[in-house]
Amino acid sequence: MLNIENVEVIYSDVILVLKGVSLNVPAGKIISLLGANGAGKTTTLKAISGLLHTELGQVTDGSITFDGKPIHKLGPEEIVRKGIVQVLEGRPTFEQLTTEENLLVGASSLKDKSNIKSDLDRIYGYFPRLKELRKRISGYLSGGEKQMQVIGRALMAHPQLMLLDEPSLGLSPLMVDQIFEIIETINVNEKTSMLLVEQNAMVALSISHHGFVMENGRIVMEDTSVSLMQNEDIKEFYLGLSSGGARKNYRDVKHYRRRKRWLA
Amino acid sequence: MVDFMQFAINGILVGGLYALVGVSIVLVFKATQVVSLAHGQLLAFGALFFWIFLDQLNFPVWVALLGTISLAALMGFITERFTIRPLIGESLFTAFLMTFSVFMFLDGFFQLYLSGQSRAYSPFLPEGTFNLSGVIISKGLLSSFTIAMLIFAALFAFFKFTRTGLQMRATSENHILAQSAGIGVKKVFTLIWIISSAVVAIGGIACANVMDIHYPLPYIGIKGLIVAMFGGLESIGGALLAGILLGLIENLSSGYLDGPLGGGVKDAAAYVILLLILIVKPYGLFGLKKIERI
Ligand SMILES: Nc1ncnc2c1ncn2[C@@H]1O[C@H](COP(=O)(O)OP(=O)(O)O)[C@@H](O)[C@H]1O
Ligand SMILES: [Mg+2]
Repeated sequence: MLNIENVEVIYSDVILVLKGVSLNVPAGKIISLLGANGAGKTTTLKAISGLLHTELGQVTDGSITFDGKPIHKLGPEEIVRKGIVQVLEGRPTFEQLTTEENLLVGASSLKDKSNIKSDLDRIYGYFPRLKELRKRISGYLSGGEKQMQVIGRALMAHPQLMLLDEPSLGLSPLMVDQIFEIIETINVNEKTSMLLVEQNAMVALSISHHGFVMENGRIVMEDTSVSLMQNEDIKEFYLGLSSGGARKNYRDVKHYRRRKRWLA
Repeated sequence: MVDFMQFAINGILVGGLYALVGVSIVLVFKATQVVSLAHGQLLAFGALFFWIFLDQLNFPVWVALLGTISLAALMGFITERFTIRPLIGESLFTAFLMTFSVFMFLDGFFQLYLSGQSRAYSPFLPEGTFNLSGVIISKGLLSSFTIAMLIFAALFAFFKFTRTGLQMRATSENHILAQSAGIGVKKVFTLIWIISSAVVAIGGIACANVMDIHYPLPYIGIKGLIVAMFGGLESIGGALLAGILLGLIENLSSGYLDGPLGGGVKDAAAYVILLLILIVKPYGLFGLKKIERI
C-alpha cells in the first residue's frame, strides 16, 4: 500500500538526514518504526505526509508511492485527501478550539459532509472521554486526553493509513495501554493501516505485525514483531532488559529550533 | 452633560466604522500573521468604486454596493495572489513591507484620479438628524453604524457556525497543524483577503459618506491599524471594542480640547494612543493568551 524506496531527505539544502530509507506498509497492517532520538523517524513520517516542505526539508532521492502512485511532490492537504493522515509528535491540538471543533477540523478534507454527525459518534464510541470534553477548550486537556483527541481528529478524515508519531511519549503506563488498545481496535474495525513510530519498543511491537529499526537515517533491521521482540540487540537497546541498560527516558525529546517562518 | 453625551454618541457611532476597518486588518493578521497596510488603499478604492457606480454610472444603491464589494474582493484577491502568496516562507517583515509597497503603489493612482479634488456621494442613506433628549444624532451616521454592527454580527456567526469559518480559526492557530488536518491553508489565505477586502470597502463607503472622498482617505487604514493593535490584533470582539474606544477618545478629546488648543486634537489623539499601546500593552487589550497548563 505504502512503499518507500531508498528515500534520501535533506534539510536546508545541506543537512542529510535520511540516507536511503526503504520500508513498506501493507494494507490493513500495523508496522512499527523504532529508533533512538534523532534517528530520523519523524523525518520519515513527514516525508510521507508532505509536511517536510514546511520545514525546508526535501526528498532528494528515492520514491514514495501510495497505492502505486508517487506522492512525494504533493502538498500536505492533498496527501490527506489521498487517505494518509499524520498524528504529530507531541499531540498538538488547536488549543483555542473545543474538542468537538478539533474533531470537526479533522473532517476538513471530506467533500461529503452528510456523515459528519455519525463520524463524531463513531469517535466518541472509541473515546467516551472525548464526549464528556466536547465543549471544553482543548488547551487545558491532559496529555492522555490530547492524545485521544488528536487520534480522533485524524480518524475523522477516514484515513486508509495513519502515521502515528510517538503516541506513548510522556503518558502514564496505564494511559499508554489504553491508547494502544484503541489503536489496535481501530486497526481491526476500520481496516486502517498504521505506521507507528515509537521509542517504547515493547508496547509498539506488542500490537504491530512487523517492525523496522532505524539508526542514523538508515534502516538497520527489519523483521516480524514477534522475532524482533526476541532479538538480543532489541532487548538490550530498546526494551531495557539488559543488565546495564537503564530504561530510556521518554522525556528526553529534542526540540529543534525551526527557523522562524510563516506557513511555508 | 449634554455636551458630553453629544461627543460620546458621535464617538461611538464613528468608532463603529473604525472598528470595521480595524477588523479587516485583524482578519488578515489572524489567518496569515501578516499586518497589512494595503487595506488603507482597499478602503479608499472601495469608497471610490462606490462613487463611480453611484454617481458616475447612476446605478441604484444596491447595484453600486454589490459592484463595489465584488471589485474590492477582486482587488484583495489579486493583491494576495501576486504580492503576498509569492512571499510565503519568507519573513513576516518582508510581507509587511510588501503591503506597504502596495499601499504606496495604489496611493499614486488614488491621488492621480482625485487630482486634488474631493468627491461626495449623492445622498443614499437617510438624511438629517433627530433629537434624543438634547443630543443630536445624524441619521446617516446611525445607519452606517448599524450596517457596521450587522457586518460584525455576520462575521461572528460565520466564524462560529460555518465549516469554512472553523477552518479559518484552526488555520489562524497553527498553520502546520491545519495543513496536517487537510485544510488548504493557501486557500484560506486567499479567502480571508477576499472577505477582509469586502469588509474594508464597506467601511470605506461608510467613512467617505461622513468625510467625503478626498486624499487622506487611505490613511483611515492607519486608524484601522491602531484599532487592530489596540484590540490585540487577533480578536474580532477586541477590534469592535477598540474601534468604539478610539472613536470615543477622539471625539471626547477633540470636543473638549479643540477649542483651547485650536483644533487638530482628533488625529493627534489617535497617534498618542498608538504610541501608548506600543509602549504599555504591545499585545493590545485583548491579545489572545497562550494557554499554559500548570
Ligand atoms: N527542520 C530540521 N532542520 C534541520 N535538521 C533537522 C530538522 N528536523 C530534524 N533534523 C535533524 O534530523 C535528524 C532526525 O530527526 P528526527 O527525524 O526528528 O528524528 P527522530 O524523530 O527519530 O527523533 C536529527 O539529527 C535532527 O537534528
Ligand atoms: Mg521524532
